Amino acid sequence: MAVSAVHLESDAFLVCMNHALSTEKEEVMGLCIGEVDTNRIVHIHSVIILRRSDKRKDRVEISPEQLSSAATESYRLADMTGRPMRVVGWYHSHPHITVWPSHVDVRTQAMYQMMDQGFVGLIFSCFIEDKNTKTGRVLYTCFQSVQAQKGSEYERIEIPIHVVPHEAIGKVCLESAVELPRILCQEEQDTYRKIHSLTHLDPITKIHNGSVFTKNLCSQMSAVSGPLLQWLEDRLEQNRQSVIELQLDKERLTQELATM
Amino acid sequence: MTPRGASVYRWDVSIMAASISGYTFSSVCYHSANSNSDHEGFLLGEVRHEETVSISDTQISSSELLQVVEVHNHEPCAQLFSFYDYAGQVNEESLNRILKDRRKNVIGWYRFRRNTQQQMSFREQIIHKQLTQLLGVPDLVFLLFSFISTANNSTHALEYVLFRPNRRYNQRVTLSIPNLGNTSQQEYKVSSVPNTSLNYAKVIKEHGAEFFDKDGVMKDIRTIFQVYGALQDKVQSVCGEVEQSERVKEKVQEEVNKLKQQIVLRKRKTTDEERRLQEAQNPEPRLTPEENTEPPETSLLSRVAFHTPSTPERPGPSANPPAYADLLSLQNDSLLPFSSSPTSAALLPRPQAVGSPGHPSPSPLGLGLSAGPNPAAGQEDDEEDDDDDSSEYENLVSEVGQLPPVSASVLLQGRPAALSPDGDASVRGSQT
Repeated sequence: MAVSAVHLESDAFLVCMNHALSTEKEEVMGLCIGEVDTNRIVHIHSVIILRRSDKRKDRVEISPEQLSSAATESYRLADMTGRPMRVVGWYHSHPHITVWPSHVDVRTQAMYQMMDQGFVGLIFSCFIEDKNTKTGRVLYTCFQSVQAQKGSEYERIEIPIHVVPHEAIGKVCLESAVELPRILCQEEQDTYRKIHSLTHLDPITKIHNGSVFTKNLCSQMSAVSGPLLQWLEDRLEQNRQSVIELQLDKERLTQELATM
Repeated sequence: MTPRGASVYRWDVSIMAASISGYTFSSVCYHSANSNSDHEGFLLGEVRHEETVSISDTQISSSELLQVVEVHNHEPCAQLFSFYDYAGQVNEESLNRILKDRRKNVIGWYRFRRNTQQQMSFREQIIHKQLTQLLGVPDLVFLLFSFISTANNSTHALEYVLFRPNRRYNQRVTLSIPNLGNTSQQEYKVSSVPNTSLNYAKVIKEHGAEFFDKDGVMKDIRTIFQVYGALQDKVQSVCGEVEQSERVKEKVQEEVNKLKQQIVLRKRKTTDEERRLQEAQNPEPRLTPEENTEPPETSLLSRVAFHTPSTPERPGPSANPPAYADLLSLQNDSLLPFSSSPTSAALLPRPQAVGSPGHPSPSPLGLGLSAGPNPAAGQEDDEEDDDDDSSEYENLVSEVGQLPPVSASVLLQGRPAALSPDGDASVRGSQT
């Protein structure tokens, strides 16, 4: 087996969760950056949020530009940690549906594995609710693909995944997290640009389309940018409090050490 | 509760809607993932009462009281038992120390547990009653997160239920996570409704021109884009501040950890010296085996060195909970991720509630989780060694047929609510 387990750093896990919970109407996806050790354990240190270039239900594609910018992110992370980092897997979300990969997912994963045996796939299932018990559920799984025999259908195989504690949020993870509003806005701009280039539309239709753009951007700001900003402010305050308490601890311990 | 106007409503039939932002939810998951024991904290937010009036055919208006609970953020507790003791007695002073001026915003509290029933434990109920009184929130809510995994740890589920335990009926409330929903890009129109009227074309062109600037771009678009840009700039700048604060926190945490280690080393040195002095004065034949002079702390150091780039594995604000790595050193020394032993490698980062029931409380389904060679959950401690054995994967295809019928989708479909309150699962699940 090419991969024995996946260790997902908790701050990368945080970004994945943020991303998966950002929308319940479509699947989101991203790439995982990290390294593989000599025990065939894949360590995921960070993730990159991707744009869905093709939002069709039956397709999961990553454009060459995105792969290239993912590679750039890897180099940055490598620089910061002093260890070689690369794209080691991908993740996507399954809102309202089962966490298991679909046939398309399994085939896509198999395709990535052709380039890199150690490539892993993560799926986050969210917005699930058991109406009877009013229990909400978020699930995540890790898988690879295997072909029982040559020419037969690909099947998924399960890979153990553990979320590894990481008490502070890494710089790369924070930067990935704040990319989401930017990516959403970019997608909206691209769509609008195409619409805007249609010359045969009458003024009323143009006004309508402009309003749709405005409305969508407002949705993004209130549903994503706003809560993100609030969370960042809360985190900042929490950190400041922690630092104050830790400083007190430090003083106390220093005194204790001095008296020994 | 005071009745309002002519409409009569009952306290226990009001509907409740509750929401939490995806970012707050993820943050709780993040704190929980960093905790090797149960994790708990407070929910801050706002409760609104909205009265919905509906007029039926008979012209008799009936009103329903809608209670809307919005969780704005959470205040995580650094450790368990920070505001209550083993008997569940809440200490108001400790509570105030944790909450400070946020006390007035508390609308509930939450608990994260691993491998337990979705039911409030006895101690949690006791604590809840006291918090209700102390905080003066009659409808204080309790959010329970429970975490379960398949035997091979490839799939994990985080289940969450929001309780309002102070009510007699409808104690469980749906918790929604507002999100972007549909980005509605389909709402753009790609063609105009055909119209040959010249008047129509003239009027809309003349008056519609107000909306556009000289480049033919809608003014609103420029304006909203500016709003977006300003907001993103602010997000970026606060993010920068957060990043700095994370690094500062990490640094001070490391210093605190170093000091603690030094103190332990110093203490050990002193006891060693005292013992040597004693032995020199009273020589005795050696009955005990050679003492292992390597304190677990140095192995902690080496583990810390492994887990670069940033924080040590289990800093912990105070010395009370034994470090996760220390606990593992009692079990198996070769748990370093880069050790030569491949099967133990997966053991290290699996945070598990210390003393948590390895076996779930008896229930018809147990945790009956799908896939993996041994569907009976709760044997994780023993199973872990076999988890990463590669032969498991080859067995997987044939295993599907061997699974007990109930386990098929338990993980996905969830477990039925326990009918009776659990024993105090949190006693076993908590840190000592």
